[in-house]
Amino acid sequence: MKEKKISPIDLLMLFPGVGFILLFIGSSIFLTLVQSFGLFSITGKSVFTLENWKAILQARESMDSLFFSLKMGLLSSVGTVVVAFPIALFFRKGGTGKGILGSIIKMPLFIPALVAAFLILNLISYSGLVNTVLMRLNLINEPLRMLNDKFGWGVVFIQIWKNLPFVLLIVMAALASIRDDTIDAAKNLGAGYWSILFRIFVPLAMPGILVSMILMFIKAFGDFPIVSVAGPIYPASMAARMHIMATIYQEWDQAAVLGVIIIVTAFIVIWAYSRFAELAKGEV
Amino acid sequence: MSNLKITNLTKRFSEVLAVDNLNLEVADGEFVTLLGPSGCGKTTILRTIAGFCNPDRGEIFFGDKIMNNIPPNKRNTAMCFQSYALFPHMSVWDNISFGLKMQKISRQGQKKKISQVMEMLGLEGLEKRKPGQLSGGQQQRVALARAIVTEPKILLFDEPLSNLDAKLRVQVRIEIRDMQKRLGITTIYVTHDQDEALAISDRIVVMERGHIEQLGDPYNIYRNPETSFVAGFIGLANIYEGTVVARDGSRYTVEAPFGKVVIVSDGRKIPEASKTVKFVWRPEDMKIYIQGAPNRVKGKILQAVFMGNITDIFIDVQGNKMRAQIDESRKLIAGDVIEFSIPEDAFSILRG
Repeated sequence: MKEKKISPIDLLMLFPGVGFILLFIGSSIFLTLVQSFGLFSITGKSVFTLENWKAILQARESMDSLFFSLKMGLLSSVGTVVVAFPIALFFRKGGTGKGILGSIIKMPLFIPALVAAFLILNLISYSGLVNTVLMRLNLINEPLRMLNDKFGWGVVFIQIWKNLPFVLLIVMAALASIRDDTIDAAKNLGAGYWSILFRIFVPLAMPGILVSMILMFIKAFGDFPIVSVAGPIYPASMAARMHIMATIYQEWDQAAVLGVIIIVTAFIVIWAYSRFAELAKGEV
Repeated sequence: MSNLKITNLTKRFSEVLAVDNLNLEVADGEFVTLLGPSGCGKTTILRTIAGFCNPDRGEIFFGDKIMNNIPPNKRNTAMCFQSYALFPHMSVWDNISFGLKMQKISRQGQKKKISQVMEMLGLEGLEKRKPGQLSGGQQQRVALARAIVTEPKILLFDEPLSNLDAKLRVQVRIEIRDMQKRLGITTIYVTHDQDEALAISDRIVVMERGHIEQLGDPYNIYRNPETSFVAGFIGLANIYEGTVVARDGSRYTVEAPFGKVVIVSDGRKIPEASKTVKFVWRPEDMKIYIQGAPNRVKGKILQAVFMGNITDIFIDVQGNKMRAQIDESRKLIAGDVIEFSIPEDAFSILRG
């Protein structure tokens, strides 16, 4: 069949959506990029320079922030999928009570990230509920430091809690598309529970798993509110570092460098995902 | 000894009684078809044999071993699904090797068996293709290869040909039967297609509403149906009721709404004189009347459909509709009056 040509009317109809993206998002990405090289600076100056990049790449704080954000992105995305997958498998088969359970699980989806962080704060703070219970049960002698910990486990925990329903929806949709016949065929050919899980469910749900991991990674990598509340005192996340650079040090062009690094990282992750997805499909 | 035995099998899905106290024995290497309309319980029986479905009551035996509590992956059955149920993310080779991997067969052993099966089913050259890149017929063959490569104790087919076009259906069913005979695997085949059942089976189990209506070889099922359901479900049928008015050895005279007919039947089925009987004959048994032929019926043609090798005729005999299929070459026209005869041994007495 011959492909239909796009008419001027089609383009006109696309304009409100695509035009907005190109105009405002595209232009702001472009401005951030040129500002990182000293052009069209917010301060009014416009001189090409590599000094901003040098300053950021040579500063230990920036590199620590980059690695910290990468770590948070990776752990949060893997963690959320690992937690969400068994729940999604459980929900794959309908049953009594699953409707209510599903609604409860989806609740964090409607709570803003900052509020979520404060809610979890009450649970895992030094004198929070988890520590109190563990102490009462004599399982620990002194409270665990789960919040503002140096590693960032508190952030990972909140990220997983906050984003679980979102990932759950994607993974559930991926699992729902697997036919019961396919599972029965595997059982019939002698596959036990683990074989079915790793040879059928996981590979067939892989597109959904990859999409949720990439979205989660980008969210957690560029996160500001959760790290601000529950993250370590040092290092700051990339977004927090960008905020500090711009508002405290007034180094807007260096903040733009950090912005470019966040955007480029996101693009690299998306590219890696698309390669991996093709590889999983066997098209490479 | 029978290879598969089902005793008193009952299965209910909420309000629906899917299988009602069913008993069946299948001999080693036998090809048995479960035939019936949608919802008659045939697929439930198949799924129970495979272990996907637990019976409410009754037992499933493989040989003398009771299988009720054995999970599907430990039963050594192999099923071909209506949807083929191939693993979409795996190549043809990986699909076929799946069962062998589960059996922990060595790589070398897998290679040998898979190559043999692929050659037998004409799948060479498709090893690296994904199911989505295959035609319906090829997918069906891969499903078949995947099932037989594990050398199962029992092979199960759930309407495996219903997604193929008519020509391919005939071709694949011949292949299935050939392959089954060659390997001698006990096979249970589910279908609602009577032609398929007649062509492929050693025995046919005709089912309705969860119970067996009749069990027998294809010839008997077609020639000697026991109930009006079987007569009507398999092939075309003229079914009438009449009263036995006279008996002469194995010849019975029955007063039917369209006149008297003489029926030759084995005495087992015919009730005593003056009792009502239901009987059936096939449209192809009706012959154009020639002098001296028995059971002469005269009627008006309502419709005559020329179908090439035969002409399908609907006739009205004193207000009673009948169907005849004859290989008469002359053109028959609606409104013509025509005389038929029905051979005395063409009738079957029905029990209900």
